[in-house]
Amino acid sequence: MHFDWSTLVLQTVNVLVLLWLLRRFLFRPVVAIVAERKAAAEKLLSDAAAKREEAETQLAAATARDQVVMADRDRILAEAHTAAETQRTELLAQAAQEIARNREAATVTLARENADMRRALEAEAQDLAVAIAGRLLGRLPAETIDTILQQSLGGWIGSLPADDPRGLTEDDGPLVVATSGPLSEPVRAMLRQRFSGRKLEFKVDPALILGIEVMGGHARLRNNWRADLESIAKELKVDDKPIVLA
Amino acid sequence: MGSPLSLHILFYIGPVAVSAPVVVTWAIMLLLSVGAWLLTRRLSVHASTRQAALEVVVAAIQTQIRDTMRTDPEPYLPLIGTLFLFIFTANWSSLIPGAEPPTAHIETDAALALIVFFAVAYYGIKARGLFGYAATFAEPSILMMPLNLIETITRTFSLVVRLFGNVMSGVFVVGIVLSLVGLLVPVPLMALDLLTGAVQAYIFSVLAMVFIAGVLGSDSEPKQRKGK
Repeated sequence: MHFDWSTLVLQTVNVLVLLWLLRRFLFRPVVAIVAERKAAAEKLLSDAAAKREEAETQLAAATARDQVVMADRDRILAEAHTAAETQRTELLAQAAQEIARNREAATVTLARENADMRRALEAEAQDLAVAIAGRLLGRLPAETIDTILQQSLGGWIGSLPADDPRGLTEDDGPLVVATSGPLSEPVRAMLRQRFSGRKLEFKVDPALILGIEVMGGHARLRNNWRADLESIAKELKVDDKPIVLA
Repeated sequence: MGSPLSLHILFYIGPVAVSAPVVVTWAIMLLLSVGAWLLTRRLSVHASTRQAALEVVVAAIQTQIRDTMRTDPEPYLPLIGTLFLFIFTANWSSLIPGAEPPTAHIETDAALALIVFFAVAYYGIKARGLFGYAATFAEPSILMMPLNLIETITRTFSLVVRLFGNVMSGVFVVGIVLSLVGLLVPVPLMALDLLTGAVQAYIFSVLAMVFIAGVLGSDSEPKQRKGK
């Protein structure tokens, strides 16, 4: 066995050179890249932690803002509720007043309409009464009507007061005697006797329906159905009262 | 293939004789250096499969240093990593037909052990100072100094002899069996030789770590950290 010192020296140098080469081209780059990755990972983790802390801070701030907003919302809701309640009360009062006014106006209007309607009905009733009376009289025989007229006029003339009723004799003009039908001679004689000293002019007016009307000067004496109906209608218009039939 | 005990001189550079183990060592150096350069020229934070495998190897060496020396592996990684990779590659160079492992020759093993010897002294002085390192020979008492000095020499020789004996014997056995029987018969022995070579690379590296850690002392880690 031979020991070669030059080989020992060369191998020592070779291993030292290899050590330098591997350190330069293997270990240092790999360690550096691992350290770089580790640093990047740590930076990533620290960034993530910072982001998380920032997110938590923002979350806390957002939660605080939410609480403030919720408090404001509750306060605004309470104020709105109170305002709405007040407004509702005022509106209810106004509505009640408006209803009362409308009801009162409606009552007045209804009363007025009722009165108008009643008057219209009364006018229609009057016209109807006139029509009915005329039609009923028209159905009676002319002799019967004449008899009734003569008899009723006889009684009426007899019931006239002795002094001048209604001022028929205030002037000297003739008295116009209008009747619903021709008068008989006895009734004419009774009239001449009643209004002695005055000239009488007789005429027939069917519009009187049944009865007599004496006109002289500025006055007239009426005793006919037409006058009765007009009198009733006038009383209704004046008194504005419903018709009460006796 | 010649005897591992004889050194075949290939050529001379001036007065310096260049033997076959030196040439194989150059080839191994070229392979490792170029391979390292190719593997590390495009390193990225986002590791590829090849880079990840490389990082696994380096990380495994770092972990072994940390577990064995109980200290930061960074200052010792180039030395220990180079020793392991070189011895491993040299032992497995027997797979190449016609190549003989440089570690089968005692000059290469002696060179490696010499480097470890001086590395132990370097790291000891660096960690403890000159007198502190010298004081390690008087531990646990001054009476142990001769034995410690002898042990420093003998353990270096043990490194040489262990690696040389294992690798050389493997080469010897394979060569003898190959010369006596057929072509495929030595294959199991070659596989066993590969296993032995890997184990010896590991053992040499671990012993180097143990020797270095022995001179760093228990307070080496704080000093290293303080130095960093």
